[in-house]
Amino acid sequence: MDKTPEIKGKDQKKILFRLLSYTKPHMKTIILAFCLLLITTVGDILGPILIKVFIDDYLTPRNLVFEPLFALAAAYIGIQIMNVLVSYFQLLKFQEIALKIIQQLRVDVFSKVQKLGLKYFDQTPAGSIVSRVTNDTEAIKDMFVSVLVTFIQGAFLIIGIFIAMFILNVKLALFCLLILPLLFLIMRAYRKYSSIFYQNLRERLSQLNAKLSESLQGMAIIQVFRQERRLRKEFGDINEQHYQAGMRNIKIDGLLLRPAIDLVYVFAIILVLSFFGITSFSSPVEIGVLYAFVSYLDRFFEPVNNMMQRLSMYQQAIVAASRVFILIDETELAPAQQADKTSKIADGEIEFHNVSFSYDKQRDVLKNISFTAKPGETVALVGHTGSGKSSIINLMMRFYEFERGDILIDGKSIKLYSEDEIRTRMGLVLQDPFLFYGTIKDNIRLHNLEMTDEEVEEAAQFVQAHLFIEKLDDGYSHKVVERGSTFSSGQRQLLAFARTIAANPKILILDEATANIDTETEEAIQLALEKMRKGRTTIAIAHRLSTIQDAELILVLHQGEIVERGNHQELLAKRGLYHKMYLLQNSAVERVEDVVS
Amino acid sequence: MRVFSDLMWFFKQEKKAYLTGVILLLFVAFFQLIPPRVIGVFVDHIKNGTLTLKGMLIWIGVLVASAAIMYILRYYWRIMIFGSAVKLSRLLRNKLYHHFTKMSPSFYQKKRVGDLMAHATNDLQAIQQTAGSGVLTLVDSLATGGFVIIAMATTISWKLTLICLIPMPLMAILTSWYGTMLHKRFHKAQEAFSSLNDKTQESVSGIKVIKTFGQEKEDIEDFRKQSEDVVEKNISVAKIDSLFDPTISLIVGISYFLSIVFGAKFVLNDELTIGQLVSFTTYLGLLIWPMLAFGWLFNIVERGRASNDRVTALLAEKIDIPDDLEALEEVPSGDIEYRLTEFVYPDENEPVLQNIHFTLKQGQTLGIVGKTGAGKTSLLKLLLREFEGFDGSIQFAGHPLSEYRIESLREALGYVPQDHFLFSATVAENIAFTNPFAELSEVYDAARTAHIHEDILQFTEGYETVVGERGVSLSGGQKQRISIARALMMNPEVLILDDSLSAVDAKTEEDILTALKQNRTGKTTIITAHRLSAIQHSDLIIVLDEGSIVQSGNHERLMLENGWYKEMYLHQQLEEIVEHGGS
Repeated sequence: MDKTPEIKGKDQKKILFRLLSYTKPHMKTIILAFCLLLITTVGDILGPILIKVFIDDYLTPRNLVFEPLFALAAAYIGIQIMNVLVSYFQLLKFQEIALKIIQQLRVDVFSKVQKLGLKYFDQTPAGSIVSRVTNDTEAIKDMFVSVLVTFIQGAFLIIGIFIAMFILNVKLALFCLLILPLLFLIMRAYRKYSSIFYQNLRERLSQLNAKLSESLQGMAIIQVFRQERRLRKEFGDINEQHYQAGMRNIKIDGLLLRPAIDLVYVFAIILVLSFFGITSFSSPVEIGVLYAFVSYLDRFFEPVNNMMQRLSMYQQAIVAASRVFILIDETELAPAQQADKTSKIADGEIEFHNVSFSYDKQRDVLKNISFTAKPGETVALVGHTGSGKSSIINLMMRFYEFERGDILIDGKSIKLYSEDEIRTRMGLVLQDPFLFYGTIKDNIRLHNLEMTDEEVEEAAQFVQAHLFIEKLDDGYSHKVVERGSTFSSGQRQLLAFARTIAANPKILILDEATANIDTETEEAIQLALEKMRKGRTTIAIAHRLSTIQDAELILVLHQGEIVERGNHQELLAKRGLYHKMYLLQNSAVERVEDVVS
Repeated sequence: MRVFSDLMWFFKQEKKAYLTGVILLLFVAFFQLIPPRVIGVFVDHIKNGTLTLKGMLIWIGVLVASAAIMYILRYYWRIMIFGSAVKLSRLLRNKLYHHFTKMSPSFYQKKRVGDLMAHATNDLQAIQQTAGSGVLTLVDSLATGGFVIIAMATTISWKLTLICLIPMPLMAILTSWYGTMLHKRFHKAQEAFSSLNDKTQESVSGIKVIKTFGQEKEDIEDFRKQSEDVVEKNISVAKIDSLFDPTISLIVGISYFLSIVFGAKFVLNDELTIGQLVSFTTYLGLLIWPMLAFGWLFNIVERGRASNDRVTALLAEKIDIPDDLEALEEVPSGDIEYRLTEFVYPDENEPVLQNIHFTLKQGQTLGIVGKTGAGKTSLLKLLLREFEGFDGSIQFAGHPLSEYRIESLREALGYVPQDHFLFSATVAENIAFTNPFAELSEVYDAARTAHIHEDILQFTEGYETVVGERGVSLSGGQKQRISIARALMMNPEVLILDDSLSAVDAKTEEDILTALKQNRTGKTTIITAHRLSAIQHSDLIIVLDEGSIVQSGNHERLMLENGWYKEMYLHQQLEEIVEHGGS
């Protein structure tokens, strides 16, 4: 759930202007749309004037000459038809502009998200980032499509009507201007109260939905722990609050929305009638003018009603826009590279030099880490959860920025390579291999479209993934559903290997999957790992010590420090932490030995 | 329109509010007729020069009074009708929630959470709209439309009324037609939007992969394409949407034109006064809304019916594991005895469990091992009574499970599931899930036993840190240990750890198992695991393969048998021996 801070009038304006700045690239279309709007408005205004002419010049004096009357009728019908066509295109154009603006805004936010550092993703729930990109921009779209367009059209019509009124009768038009401040007051009152109530209603609704969605996801837990009754009550309470908020909204709408506008309408009619009535005591009155005024007033209130109804959308859009802009202005960027273009990773030697690092600038998760991985060597990181293994990888992949110490690749600071160079030369296999919606092929080649099908298959064969892929219907075109949930975690791991190998990195970084890999796949994985490591500098996080026995260097981490280093045999001989960990994983070794020997 | 009769139970329940609302609406419809009439009278008086100051004031008084009355009536019918509609959605929402809490896991296997959410949000909204705007539109369009037509026909001219009404039905037909088309295209636009949403979700969740492979630009390009598709689909919506206003103004324009042309003819024939003609055109303005409303009504009602059908069907889903009327109230405590011949999941053919026979004495620890899909979790789910319908019997403390009330049975069982689900609440609230009023010291104790206390103290706000979907993200191991603490809080007769130690390291696993042993003397524990070290010290170990027990006994005994257990155990150990250089 997102907290929505109250936005002050001044900031609202700022946000609105910033939104409006997105219209710049579409100026031409906008001018066209405005021209069309102008034409339709003139058409709308002309109708009653034509009828007024008919009533005053022909009907009242009973002066019926065919030709001018025919011309009048033809003009009326002609204007109507033209108006229909023009206004259709006008409406369409405005919506098109709005949609394109939102498209740009969306791409901007999404691009920004891609530029953010992982720190941001750690601190922000995925759901809220997604809703910035889609739902919030959707709310802004609604504003552009309905609110702005309605307001512009309404404003045009209202101004047009007043111009016509002034042409017909200056004095009465001046009186009618009185309606405006009255409407303005109602609008302001409504905006003031409805924004509070509406906001409240939305918050309740999102609470309600959050509660419901969470209950549905955790229903098994709720039932097993017999908490149905308590949660029903909690839900009922939130539901009740939502109901109360809904009622308050209905009340405020009833007091200030349509009923109030209708009241003003009758007031306006009274104004016009009194004016004509009083005038009629002293001088003759043109009935046609009266007709025209009444008919203008009829039209006048429709856009007003529309505008009022859309005020709440405006409020929502401003809140949404403020959230979107906060994201666009986010400064938690991915670490920047001071790249000189000539730097290339050739040998793949990695050196950590006194690296210390902290996520929160308080607690160091890495303390003075130094080690060297020579080209082609494997360095393994062991240690239990929270010892700093993943942080080392996070720094190497430039997911997080570090200030103390340096990481050198081929003798040069990692910060001096271009991002492209780092991404193409260093291949990371994540513990949780994330698969995308699409096909197996798509998941191996990712967005790298130059990769041929043969290359994809080669990569899969290399990592032993080919065997299980072949057995699927459609083979490499087999559909991967959301997160690849139809594959076993071992199979997912193999696909992730294939993906990495297909990119052919010089340096390999492995985060070993911890649990739940069945034995058959496990063997394939071990075989694949061995092949992949050949000729590549490898940094590997290992949970099972058995997988890293042939590593050239094993670093044992504890609370961010390297407490032991050496190869497998050396470390065992030390009888230190590594030895203990080893024993723990093999607590029954002696007995096994008995059995085997 | 069937939906109105489907919702009749509610209309009856809220009879007073709806009747009042409808009557108020009728009055409003009637009072609406006054202003145009007054305008007409004014015009005639002015034209004939018969207007007096007193007459004018009287008419204005009438207008003021009717405006004030309408304002009040309009306010109140909203409260009555819209208020009832909100009440309906509150009622249905509670009903649904209540129903959801009663449905067994087999229900949740069949339905997706997203769909259930959609029922509780979109469908309820559509039903609320039917009970509110739907009723309003029906009554108002009939009443206003009817009254206006009657007023036009009786007080002015029935001939002119007929003539002007000719184009009006066309408006209702066209707008209703646009409405259905709009609905279809809107649906497509919604789909495009939701796939854009999925795309974004995936990019955010997979951000590490995207960054690892340096695919940001390509991914943005992909996003651009998809969002362009959204724009395209929305423009096709706009193409229909933009038809509404022009169509309406065209038809209204024609109607006005007819009324002026023929009205003028009648005026010249002295069948009509000019004032009447002006009234007439104003009345005509009042007719636009009911006609439009009729077009909408069909859409609202159609959507409302579909939604109501879905919600009703959902509420009609049977609760598949009801309590026996004479079920035992007592919380079971004693031996657990499985005499199971066969269990098949509902809607499936292959049995997941076959011939499961064993007895677990009170206070003992049972270890269940076997490959993924061997039936370990299914075996536990039967004990929890999440599923029923097996052949054979499962007895707990001398009675079959079905003889206990589900609630009593579950009070004896502390379950730690495989997928550790935490609620968006503080750590303390999550641990104290079964007893929100528990002492903090009890919470600490449970956390200590589960070896998560120290971790929690490291969190920025300690036990007050909000976790779950909308809180800080925890590691898998931390979540598992909090789930264990949650189960320990109820100090259950039987603690069930369903592969709940998979994400913690070997040392922590051992610590937790030791702590459990110390704290739970005399209580039963059931553990399923992939890592054999987790169950090695159990009193009884059963090995499952394809739903059957292939081996059982304690560790020592199983090591004497040549079977899966020993093989697996040796397999794990063999690697280590090889590491020793083969000696």
